[in-house]
Amino acid sequence: MRETIQRLTETFGPSGFEERIRAVIRDEVEDLADELQVTPLGSLVAIRRGSGGGQRIMMAAHMDEIGVMASYIDEKGFIRLAPLGGVYSITCIGSRVLFENGTMGVIGLDEKRQDKKQIPSLSELYIDVGATSKEDCPVRVGDAAVFVRTFFAQGRRLVAKAMDNRIGCAVLIETMRRLQKTPHEIHFVFTAQEETNLSGAQTAAYGIDPDLAIAVDVTGTGDRPESRPMAVQLGQGPAIKVQDALMIAHPLVREWLVAAAERINVPYQMEVMEGGTTDAAVTQLVRAGVPSGCLSIPCRYVHSPSEMVDEEDVEGAVRVLVEALSTR
Amino acid sequence: METISLLRKLTELPGLSGHEQPVRQLLQELWSPLVDELSEDRLGSMIGLRQGSGAVPRPRLMLAAHMDEIGLRVAGIERGFLRLAEVGGIDRRVLPGLEVVVHGKRDLHGVIGMRPPHVIPHDQRDKPIPWAELFVDVGLPEAEVDEWVRVGDPISFYRQMVELQGGLVAGKAFDNRASVAAVTLALHALTRMSHAWDVVAVATVQEEVGLYGATTSAYHVAPDLAIAIDVTFARQAGLSDDRVFAIGEGPTIGIGPNFHPQVVEKLKSTADAHEIPYHVEPAPGRSGTDAWAIQVSREGVPTGLVSIPVRYMHQPVETAAVKDIERAGRLLAAFAAGLAADFRPGWEDEA
Repeated sequence: MRETIQRLTETFGPSGFEERIRAVIRDEVEDLADELQVTPLGSLVAIRRGSGGGQRIMMAAHMDEIGVMASYIDEKGFIRLAPLGGVYSITCIGSRVLFENGTMGVIGLDEKRQDKKQIPSLSELYIDVGATSKEDCPVRVGDAAVFVRTFFAQGRRLVAKAMDNRIGCAVLIETMRRLQKTPHEIHFVFTAQEETNLSGAQTAAYGIDPDLAIAVDVTGTGDRPESRPMAVQLGQGPAIKVQDALMIAHPLVREWLVAAAERINVPYQMEVMEGGTTDAAVTQLVRAGVPSGCLSIPCRYVHSPSEMVDEEDVEGAVRVLVEALSTR
Repeated sequence: METISLLRKLTELPGLSGHEQPVRQLLQELWSPLVDELSEDRLGSMIGLRQGSGAVPRPRLMLAAHMDEIGLRVAGIERGFLRLAEVGGIDRRVLPGLEVVVHGKRDLHGVIGMRPPHVIPHDQRDKPIPWAELFVDVGLPEAEVDEWVRVGDPISFYRQMVELQGGLVAGKAFDNRASVAAVTLALHALTRMSHAWDVVAVATVQEEVGLYGATTSAYHVAPDLAIAIDVTFARQAGLSDDRVFAIGEGPTIGIGPNFHPQVVEKLKSTADAHEIPYHVEPAPGRSGTDAWAIQVSREGVPTGLVSIPVRYMHQPVETAAVKDIERAGRLLAAFAAGLAADFRPGWEDEA
C-alpha cells in the first residue's frame, strides 16, 4: 500500500486539473471494477456489482489537491498566483511549485509589502520560474501548479503533499483490492473539485442516486503542541464522523461504521471537526437526500505541503470498510 | 437592430432581481422572430429554443445570461420619505445624488438627496453615508406617498445610456444586459447559420441575489453543454493590471475548475479561427456567475464562461465597449455553429 500512497501523492492533480491523477487511479482500479465511468465534471467512478440484495452505496474520496493558478504574468516573467482551494500564504513562502507542463517555480514574497508584521496575503506572493520576460515565461495565465514535496515514511508515520486526500483514494483502492464478496452495488468515486467547491461529489451523487454515501477524507487532530482541542489523535485509529462544519453524519451510517469496527476489533475514534467539511456535506443534499457519513483519516498539517498520517490508521480504515461493505 | 439601440433598450429598462417582467416583455418581442419556441420557467427565466439540424434527440447548448439587475427596495416609509434596502450588491457610496424610479402602484420618479454639505461636520464628510440616512424623495406629501407606495416596492436606477467617445457606452445594468444583448446578437447571427445542436438561449432571473434563475433553468433545460455570459472587471483607474482586462480588446474566456477544459479550448479555437480577440481569465474557484450554478446541475454540465469587460461594476455608470459586446455575440454564434452533431465534451483519458 505504501507504493500506491507514494505514487498517488506524488502525482499532479489540483482541482479542475485532474487528468493525470485520474489516469493513475484508473490504472490502479481498472482490474478491480466491473465498470468504469468518467462523469461530466471529471470524477472517476469504479463500479462493483455485488451478489444482490444489498444497497447502492457511493464511496467518495476526492482525488484533487490544493494548488495555485497563474493569474497574471508581468513584463519580467514573474507570475502572480490565485489559490485553488485553501492555500495558506505562510506555507507558500519558499515552496517550490510544479506546473503541469513540467515547469518548476519557487515562491517569492514582495519585499516592499505594506505591513511587514502582518501575515502576507497571497497577492503579495509571486512565482519565479527563472524567466526574464513575459515572452520567455513557459507558463500561461490559467495554468495550474501543485506544491512539490517528496513522500517519506518514518516508522508508522507517512508524510507527503496531497495526503489530503490521496490517502482517501489509497484507502478506497485497497478496499477494492481486499473486498471479496459483497451484496451491495458499490460506486467507488474518485471525485474532482472537492477542494474548491465539492462539485465533483455533488454531481456524481446525482448521477448515481445512491441509497447511502460515505466520504473517506482526512480530518484534523488535537494532538500537536498548542493545537486547538480536538478529540482525534494520530495513530488511535480511523475516525468515524459525528459532525463537522457543514454536516451531521446520518446516525445509521455512523453506527453502521461503528458496528463494523467493533466486530473486527479495530480501534476507532469518534470525530467532531469544528472547521472544514468533506464531500459528504453535498452528497447528503442531492435529490431527495442521501444518508451520508464519513470515515476519516487523522492527519496533521492539513493543507500544508507536508501532511502526516499514521499507517495503522490507514490500515484500520481499510479493514473497517471491507468489513462494512462485505455485510448487509 | 443596431447594437447601440439594442443596448439602450435593454439597459434603460428596470428589471431588479425578482422583478424582471419589463425585460422579459422586451425579450418576448426581440427573441420571438429568432427562435422556434419561447417559454418561461417557473421562476421566470426566459427560454428561447432554436432547433438544430442534427438528428433527434439533439444535444442542447445552453447560452445563459442573467437579465436581472441590482437595485433598491422600500424598507420603510418615514414621514413621506422612503427608507431603503438593497437588492443585490449595492455600492452605498454612489447612491447620494441618484435619480430613481419607485415602482409603486404607478411608477414615481424620485431622488436620493442628502443633508447639504454645509451642515455636515468636517469629520463626517469623507465617510460613506449609513443606510439609515439614505432616503428617496418622490416629492409627494406623506398621505399621497402612502397611497402609491408600499413597503417592499422595488426601486430602480433611472439612467439613460450615453455614448462616450471611442466606441464606449455607459449606463446602468450593463451587468448583465450587455450579455443579454450579446446572446440576442448571437441568436440573430444564427438565423443565417446552420447549427446541428439545439441552441437554448436563457435570460436568467435572480443572479444578483444567488444565481437562482440559472440553478432552476439549468435543471429544466438539462443541457449537454452550457456557456454563461457575464461581465468582468475592465481596466480602469485605481485597479492594478493583474486582475483586470483591457476594454475594447475583446471578451474574456474563463479558465479554472468551474469550466470544462474542452469547452475552454473550443471557445479559444473558435475565437482564433474567426479572428475574434480575447483574453484568458483565470477563475480559481467559483466563478461567481451563472456558470457555477449550471456546472453542478443534475449530474454535472460541461460549462464555459464568456465575459465582457465592464468598468465601474455595480455603479450606475457601467461602461463597456460596443465592439466587445458584438465580438461576444459573434463568438457565441460561431461556437454554437461549430458544434458537430456527434461532439460531446469528454476527457482525454476516458475509456
